[in-house]
Amino acid sequence: MDRSFLADKDVISASRKFVCIRLATYENAEENKILAGFFSRGGVLENTVFTLLTPDGKTKLVSAGRSPVWAFGGVRGAGINAQPEVSMKKMGQTMEAIALAYPGKGKATKGSPPLPYLADLRLAMNVTAADRQPLVVVYSKSAEQRKKMEQELSKVAWSDQFIGQAQYVSASDASEFKSVKNFKATSGFVVIQPGTFGLTGEPIAVIDAKTSASKLVESLAKALDKHKPSTLTYNQHRQMGSQAGARWVSKTPNQEKEARRGGGRRPQR
Amino acid sequence: MMNRSILLVGAFLAVPFFSNAQAEAPKAAAKAEKIAWHGTWKGGLTEAQRTGKPIMLVSAVPQCHSVPGVW
Repeated sequence: MDRSFLADKDVISASRKFVCIRLATYENAEENKILAGFFSRGGVLENTVFTLLTPDGKTKLVSAGRSPVWAFGGVRGAGINAQPEVSMKKMGQTMEAIALAYPGKGKATKGSPPLPYLADLRLAMNVTAADRQPLVVVYSKSAEQRKKMEQELSKVAWSDQFIGQAQYVSASDASEFKSVKNFKATSGFVVIQPGTFGLTGEPIAVIDAKTSASKLVESLAKALDKHKPSTLTYNQHRQMGSQAGARWVSKTPNQEKEARRGGGRRPQR
Repeated sequence: MMNRSILLVGAFLAVPFFSNAQAEAPKAAAKAEKIAWHGTWKGGLTEAQRTGKPIMLVSAVPQCHSVPGVW
């Protein structure tokens, strides 16, 4: 993931005033259509999309493109941690200005924030491996119990201590854990260490399903602390993954790859 | 030849936004402040409508040359 724009402290600070949605391109046909509605060229949904939107998700507030560079300027192809300070500042300042224009409902907001779930366990392990973060699975066969668990965990997940520190997914059947080694089908908050390539994982802790939010703070902190992120560089990761035969097959066709393979011309940047 | 050039340029341009080459200490990075992402459009949009907050939308493939576990 971006080591400049999306890791910039002012952008992260401004992001707390936004609802941040990060999708996995080509994993959901419906989401593909939504993404293409914001940015595509020649009818091709490209690998990456970035934009800022109104709270109803209908109107773009900055130019959509492949990355924040399209909206805020910067250097394409200059590598990691190489974006100009001025571009990152522009992104943070633009987000702050948008947040002033759309300050949210404040105290009039009804309900409580939901857990920021990923779509399913298979994708969640890949995403958490890519983020080099632990994954917390809310697992129970009972929908009622999962709801109670979600309510408790969401009080913790959005706190200053835990916000952005893990990914979350829900599971209702033990079969969803088929790629998780040493999984014992017990209801609970299952904290998973994803494998390097996110194709497998292993539980590093299972917290009782009935744990209250106040007790979760300590047990979750301990569990997340056991996570050991990969230390491979980008190139090492790619090289080792290729050698190991680690392959990811998207649920829907990779349109950008197909457009290139088919000899289709990619629109000019 | 043309296709190959396009492929190379595409890969090159994707690097600054969606590359994951980290040289920093991973443990320290894990505890650094990070953006909290909703992982589905439906979930995120529902939350934006509930709160009235604007949306930051990002999408990417969590693989590079089919190798997963990397943005």
